[in-house]
Amino acid sequence: MDHRTEEFVERIRRGGKVEATDWMPDEYRKLLIKLIHMHAVSEIMGAYPEKEWVPKAPTLRRKLAIMAKVQDEMGHGQLLLRVVEDLAAPLGKTREDLIADIYTGKVKFHNVFHMEARTWADAGVIGWLVDGAAIINQAALLETSYAPYARVLKRICAEESFHMQHGENIILALAMGTKQQRQMLQEALNYWWESLLFFFGPKEVTPAAERMLYYRIRTKTNEELRQKFLDKYVPRIQSLGLTIPDEQLRYDRERKAWVYSEPDWDKFGRIVRENRGPKSRERMELRRSAHEEQRWVREAMARSHLPAG
Amino acid sequence: MTEKTWQYEEYEVFLRRSHQEPQVHVGSLLAPSPDVALILARENFMRRDPAVSIWVVPSKQVTEATGESGFLSREMDRKYREVAGYTENGRLWRMFKEKAITLEEIVAYVEGRNQESKRERRAERG
Repeated sequence: MDHRTEEFVERIRRGGKVEATDWMPDEYRKLLIKLIHMHAVSEIMGAYPEKEWVPKAPTLRRKLAIMAKVQDEMGHGQLLLRVVEDLAAPLGKTREDLIADIYTGKVKFHNVFHMEARTWADAGVIGWLVDGAAIINQAALLETSYAPYARVLKRICAEESFHMQHGENIILALAMGTKQQRQMLQEALNYWWESLLFFFGPKEVTPAAERMLYYRIRTKTNEELRQKFLDKYVPRIQSLGLTIPDEQLRYDRERKAWVYSEPDWDKFGRIVRENRGPKSRERMELRRSAHEEQRWVREAMARSHLPAG
Repeated sequence: MTEKTWQYEEYEVFLRRSHQEPQVHVGSLLAPSPDVALILARENFMRRDPAVSIWVVPSKQVTEATGESGFLSREMDRKYREVAGYTENGRLWRMFKEKAITLEEIVAYVEGRNQESKRERRAERG
């Protein structure tokens, strides 16, 4: 390890934060790009399952709220893409490239956003549990060593607190509703549960994750976060009278950990790597057409104005 | 990689949440022009937070100094400039059977946020 990298790591170990203009090892930069690009793209693709429910929302208030949420997710994508852009600039990558990477399959997005939002209860579970899982992930990243990411995460988390209440409100309404509504809710939980466990990633610490921990880009492992999710949400799910579709699920008091049936790692791994989930192709095509067909607008705006300064 | 025939510029965004507060940096964005930057700033940073003013400034217009250069370092003890440098006042006032007061207490009193000062109450009782 060269002298500069040594000093850099030492600084991070002491709790120091890194800014976009600071010198950083190539490995650190590449890990950040990989992580934040995926996060940004997941925010954007994460808006799609809920966007599909905007025209079908059951009341005007629900329609306004879910629209606001879709707008937030797109906004989060924009904030995060700004962070990636600065990191990727020395590699010659621009916003256009970062977006195109979605539909050329060069960047992955979270498994949950490849799934189908079939019913209003699915939309509710996305707001409650998918967002709940995402919030746990993001809250754990607030202490990241990369300061521009930390600042954006702080803003994102503030808005996620609305998302959390919004999702819970939909779920509570259904849980207190008719027998059919409660059944719809149970079916939604059955459909999403495995995806939710997969969401946090493999149990073992992968080499890339190990390097992220080393640089304090993240400070907690996938399994630690999955356990926190189960801690927070299992009792609440059960309090609503819902059944979690896992007979093995229990809290092991000795090991102080949840025991659960593992999700189908292969199946969901393929969905993410090969974009082969039930909705992957359709949503990517929508993203492609939105980006390609509006290119002339972006170009016209750029050309019709002399740069400031 | 996309051919760079056109490019957007980076803008830094500053919000003033109320007239009593300074314009605070909240983030940055990419836009083709200052007027579009303003629209995007409103959409990105004002969806909930109210503001009375918003600035967008091309990032390349910002001149920055950071701590690393030593420019911002503080070699000297600055306690003599700070409230924290005068904690003994409380002990000294007690010798005169009075207590120390803070600027915040005076501001609150002047603005009428405390109905009455303790001295007044004491005077009334006396």
